[in-house]
Amino acid sequence: MSEILIKNANLCDPIQGINCENMDICIRDGKIVESVSENAEIIDAGGRLTMAGGFDGHTHSAGKINVGRFINPNDARRKLVPGLSGPEKRTEKTRAQVGYNTPNTYAIGYRYAKLGYTTICEAAIPMLAARHTHEEFKEIPILDKMGLSLFGSNWQVMEYIRDKEPEKLAAYVAWGLKASRGYGVKIVNAGGGEAWGWGKNVNGLYDPVPNFDVTPAEILMGLVEANEKLQLPHSVHVHCNNLGKPGNYETTIETMKMFEKVKPTVDRQSLHVTHVQFNAYAGTSWRDFETGAPMVSDYLNSANHLTFDLGQVIFGPAVTMTADGPVEYANSRLLHEKWSNQDIELEDASGVVPLSYSPKSFINAVQWAIGLELALLVEDPWKIMFTTDSPNGGSFVNYPEAFTYLMSAKKREQVISGFGQMALDRMVLPGIDRELSFYELAIMTRSMQSKMYSRPEKGNLKVGSDADIAIYDIIPGDIDPSVEHEKVKQAFSGAAYTLKDGKVVVKDGQIEATPMGRTYWVNAKVPADIDSAMQKDTDIKFKKYYTVSKSNYMVEDSYLPNPVEISTEGVF
Amino acid sequence: MQAVKLSLKKANKIPIEADTVSPDNFAGKTKEEIEAILAWYGNGQCPLGDFFTVEVEGSDSTENTKIVFDGDVSRVKRIGQGMSAGEIEINGNVDMHCGFGMKGGKITINGDADSWLGCEMKGGEIILNGNASYYVGSGYRGESCGMRGGKITVNGNAKDYLGEHMCGGEILVTGNVGLLPAISNNGGTIVIEGNATMPASEMKNGTVIIKGEVSDMLPSYKEDGTEEVEGVTYRKFVGDVNASGKGVLLVK
Repeated sequence: MSEILIKNANLCDPIQGINCENMDICIRDGKIVESVSENAEIIDAGGRLTMAGGFDGHTHSAGKINVGRFINPNDARRKLVPGLSGPEKRTEKTRAQVGYNTPNTYAIGYRYAKLGYTTICEAAIPMLAARHTHEEFKEIPILDKMGLSLFGSNWQVMEYIRDKEPEKLAAYVAWGLKASRGYGVKIVNAGGGEAWGWGKNVNGLYDPVPNFDVTPAEILMGLVEANEKLQLPHSVHVHCNNLGKPGNYETTIETMKMFEKVKPTVDRQSLHVTHVQFNAYAGTSWRDFETGAPMVSDYLNSANHLTFDLGQVIFGPAVTMTADGPVEYANSRLLHEKWSNQDIELEDASGVVPLSYSPKSFINAVQWAIGLELALLVEDPWKIMFTTDSPNGGSFVNYPEAFTYLMSAKKREQVISGFGQMALDRMVLPGIDRELSFYELAIMTRSMQSKMYSRPEKGNLKVGSDADIAIYDIIPGDIDPSVEHEKVKQAFSGAAYTLKDGKVVVKDGQIEATPMGRTYWVNAKVPADIDSAMQKDTDIKFKKYYTVSKSNYMVEDSYLPNPVEISTEGVF
Repeated sequence: MQAVKLSLKKANKIPIEADTVSPDNFAGKTKEEIEAILAWYGNGQCPLGDFFTVEVEGSDSTENTKIVFDGDVSRVKRIGQGMSAGEIEINGNVDMHCGFGMKGGKITINGDADSWLGCEMKGGEIILNGNASYYVGSGYRGESCGMRGGKITVNGNAKDYLGEHMCGGEILVTGNVGLLPAISNNGGTIVIEGNATMPASEMKNGTVIIKGEVSDMLPSYKEDGTEEVEGVTYRKFVGDVNASGKGVLLVK
């Protein structure tokens, strides 16, 4: 039995409604408890800001990021953020680290932990390549992990939707999650991955997918029905159609509206829209491109059925990686950049393109502003997850920098002062003076994720929750984040303490221990007769089309050294 | 003036990573201090004194420090890496990455140089009196900018990918070069007095002059009249059209 008493913590725990109050936190065997014995080890927080461990619910940290590593060997030497990037030698406690946007697996674990993050969700697992994702998960230390499996351009999915077989579709989704050991349903540019196989794209919600006679709207509605039938802990996680195109905010709002009628079967949102920054563009071309954030935020303020994340842009080099194949092709042509393109057989497409965001480019400046506008114009922080869609908008190691944008209008002014007039004319950010509090920041970086992913033991420090805790070197009462944004950035860049399951993993910004985290996956129960009918259909797919056999497709248990199986009962 | 003479005690088979050998690191140091400077050798670090006999005359600033390698150092890499001033003279062959990222000063090599000579160089001068291998003045793998400034003179031949991803500075080769010189470059000037094969593919910017024969001239260049350089008239080509480039390729 191990006990820790954190004394004098200035706790900010929105799920319990605790807003920076001094209190003690008791930990026994990795969980928060009411009280501990006198033998407990004592950590004196000294009135410093204390939160539950951070939870990055949308990050590309395992799988496709490896292609990013292949095509950007130069990224290994980038040292843009001191202490959180570039080559670092092996130490007694840590393995060698390299990279900035595409760090090696160990560096991903260490660096998230240094930021006080303890859980991550890989944003896209192509099921065919799920083994690879789990192989990388195995080598990411400290963090708890989960991943979202891609279903949006899957042949079997589209056929079941076309043939109106919702039960078999639900059975297939359940099987797909099991086969890939995934946690939820990810839909990337619904139907677009398949269209890309023919060198095309879908241009909106009602543009039919070649050869399948279904539209993106039908795919979305079919999959959300399956998602709710299976009572999955997370809602569908949607990367909207038309990403990265001027004028796409209309498609985004249309997609959001479509889900108003969905009744979630679990107490959570019915839709999560991801990296909305890339989907909130107005204008008709890159010439008259401007922010669409005010329109999207207006809708988000009026809607209560969904959550979204930002996809905030960070100036400097980034690597875009997505299952949205046609977008990556467009990026590579537009920017004359390196391009990797992959076909995931019957399932999806994927691409990787490095790029660099510059404040001198009016387009990049407006993109930067859109992310912040969304965060500041949407009133309810419980709808917002903070992300940079790492490393698409920029590496996660820049989160502390980005927090200061949210918390300090002065800091924003500093950045905005470097923009040209054309950029300023296309954004509304300069007129926004809202500054987020530590409480609101805590909601966006850990608490809302607890609800969004139905992980009640994460993102809060209630009795019974996991003892994943971050203590930052700030005394909330003594600091004005609006002015002292440099101090805020510094404190968030290296936690004074990060505890994972009650074990000190980071102390004074340095790695202390590297325990192995868990991998969460969802096992949704489906009636046996529906399951076997579905299996017959997939057998044909494997026999006729896949390059692997069905038995070799499944991720075996040995790939998950520390699995947590979440069982759900389907409603059929 | 400070003169430092290094003589290899015994020919080594495992390369010595001599990125610590530069006037910046040696200036004002005594023989003993220089001998104690560490260099990577295999998977461990050893003092330079283990490999070299060190002779030091005088003590002076970086600008006034000259390092002389007496004899062949064909298994010593990264000599003069990142140096900002002073001089290095190598009387023999040298291994890869000589003058990597140098910012100033001068390196003279009286022998042949292995690959990556002066890659990502920002300033200063390299004079090679011998033949060069691959990737002279190029960028590190994946980097979009190689050499940015300074001058490399090769008094001999060079192999493939000369000046790859070059963004500035000057390269002069008096002999022939191999395949794809000036590939993907985006600035700077390359003059090749001998022959070249498939020059300047994907060039975005910069000037390439080839005085000898060109084999397999790329079809993705537009001919645009003639241009005279130092009294010689060349056919002028602009491209690479495939990369929407505005580079200038001058050939006989």
